[in-house]
Amino acid sequence: MRIENTPGHSTQLRRGKSIPVIINGEKVSAFEGELVSTVLHAEGIRTLHINPHSQREASLYCMMGVCYQCLVTIDGVRNMRACQTYIHDGMEIETETGESA
Amino acid sequence: MSTIRELVIVGAGPAGMQAAIAAASAGVQVILIDSSPLPGGQYYKQLPRPFLSDNQDSHHEHAHQLFSHLANPHIEVMTETMVWGIFAGANAGTWQVATYGPTGCFGLETKKIILANGAYDRSISFPGWDLPGVITAGAALTMLKHQHFLPGKRILLSGSGPLQMAAAAWLIDSGAEVVAVLESSPNLIKHGIRYLPALTAQTARIREGLGYLRSFIKAKTNYKFGWSITSCSGAGQVQQATFAKLDSRGLPIPGTKETKEVDTVVLGYSLNPNTSLSRMVPCEMEFQHLRGGYVPRRNENFETSQPGIYAAGDCAGVGGAPLSEVEGRITGSAIAHQLGYLSIQEYDAIREKEAGSLAREKRFADVLGDLFSFTPDLSSMAGATIICRCEQISLAEIRAAIAMGAQTVTDIKNITRSGMGNCQGRTCATLIAGILAKETQRPIQAGGFLATRPPIHPVPLSALENYQYHEDSSVQVQRGSLE
Repeated sequence: MRIENTPGHSTQLRRGKSIPVIINGEKVSAFEGELVSTVLHAEGIRTLHINPHSQREASLYCMMGVCYQCLVTIDGVRNMRACQTYIHDGMEIETETGESA
Repeated sequence: MSTIRELVIVGAGPAGMQAAIAAASAGVQVILIDSSPLPGGQYYKQLPRPFLSDNQDSHHEHAHQLFSHLANPHIEVMTETMVWGIFAGANAGTWQVATYGPTGCFGLETKKIILANGAYDRSISFPGWDLPGVITAGAALTMLKHQHFLPGKRILLSGSGPLQMAAAAWLIDSGAEVVAVLESSPNLIKHGIRYLPALTAQTARIREGLGYLRSFIKAKTNYKFGWSITSCSGAGQVQQATFAKLDSRGLPIPGTKETKEVDTVVLGYSLNPNTSLSRMVPCEMEFQHLRGGYVPRRNENFETSQPGIYAAGDCAGVGGAPLSEVEGRITGSAIAHQLGYLSIQEYDAIREKEAGSLAREKRFADVLGDLFSFTPDLSSMAGATIICRCEQISLAEIRAAIAMGAQTVTDIKNITRSGMGNCQGRTCATLIAGILAKETQRPIQAGGFLATRPPIHPVPLSALENYQYHEDSSVQVQRGSLE
């Protein structure tokens, strides 16, 4: 859920301009400066990757590039860390939850 | 043609930035490398460039001062660049730093290296800790502060120490319903009183703590001391969290269990020093209980057992940002002296000037380490609980390896593959060390630590194929704005 203001911290924030990205084939609107993980979370997508050893769901955990649980396919490149990648206009993001993942 | 650099610093957080500024102001040519698009590290993490904020608090003021000092002709900042290995250099007494960034893979030959790659959240394991929606306190703070994003609506926090306190206050202030904050450490009240003298001259921290306290009082937060989460469940994501009161050994007390509906769980059990690089080199390691476990052994100039390789800040023992900054300044000055830019008198004067704050911050770090390095004893949890997420190794498999005679975390890795996945044991190694200690009734340090091999982070083979060493033209230094 995007926060517009931070009550109690008296800080006003403006995001980057609105840009489209494509998530699993569907166009959605996001903001410049957002991480792939943020946009996926905002769209209600929590399972980002299926662990190939067990078929268990994997998702965001550390948000600092350490745990490798948030791997998704970005612009055709597999196993990119959603928490370390900033979006760009027209970025194609696919969760690794299908048969091939 | 080869250029031998003077100093390469890995990590542009509090320690790395201060080291770069100290060394460069004495005349050393510095390359400062960070994997993020902007310097700052986790503690001074900057908003993404397209975001605008009017935040002017003292934390920001200090950060901006540091960033402005980085704009020094002697400092080259290489952003979005990861260091995946350190090897002996081509010339006597030099090192080679292997990097991967926007322009591919290349090696930098250098006389001195400072490891300043920080720390990351320590995990605890329990049934359901790998469900989507269970995140670390560091993750919650990054979402809140760096992305202005709320990870959930109904949140339970379990952990120990100031990081989870900060995460809880930020979540509350941002509008989340925090169902409870569980502080697991039983030592807080018992030991807290005798540590009061360590709060001397920690006014900024006291003010920060009081600010959080105000948020908790205002929101009537259910802050429970001596409690811990014990399990999570849900379909596809966390939906329920169960927690219990702990006895003095950290074991859940039967009959105290409660369950709450949640959509997010935040875990904040202090930090692990990031020792991937120091273990790879390898530097000699020593066990420091109050600083997060095995860390590189250092001399008084913060040089490791490998001549020319130094370590400053949390990667050499968790101690917080102010201690990291002091260590960074001393290390940068020590190297300036080693390279002939500062006389011994000048270096001694800097050390003397820093002595007071170094002692004060070390004392404070020891207190935090003693109060908050506690983890609950959840060893009675189900054997099916996943311990190594990458390779999906369960507690039962780790116990079976111990029953086969495994004596160290390396034995367990060799038998089960735990720690051999993408994260290279960063998440599970401390969990496994804890299980081993419990099962074999030995101190945790007896289990040792995992060796690391390059690359310490995955690097595409296509980039490695074009690895260049000594090719200066390949170095694309990011000369743009640092803010």
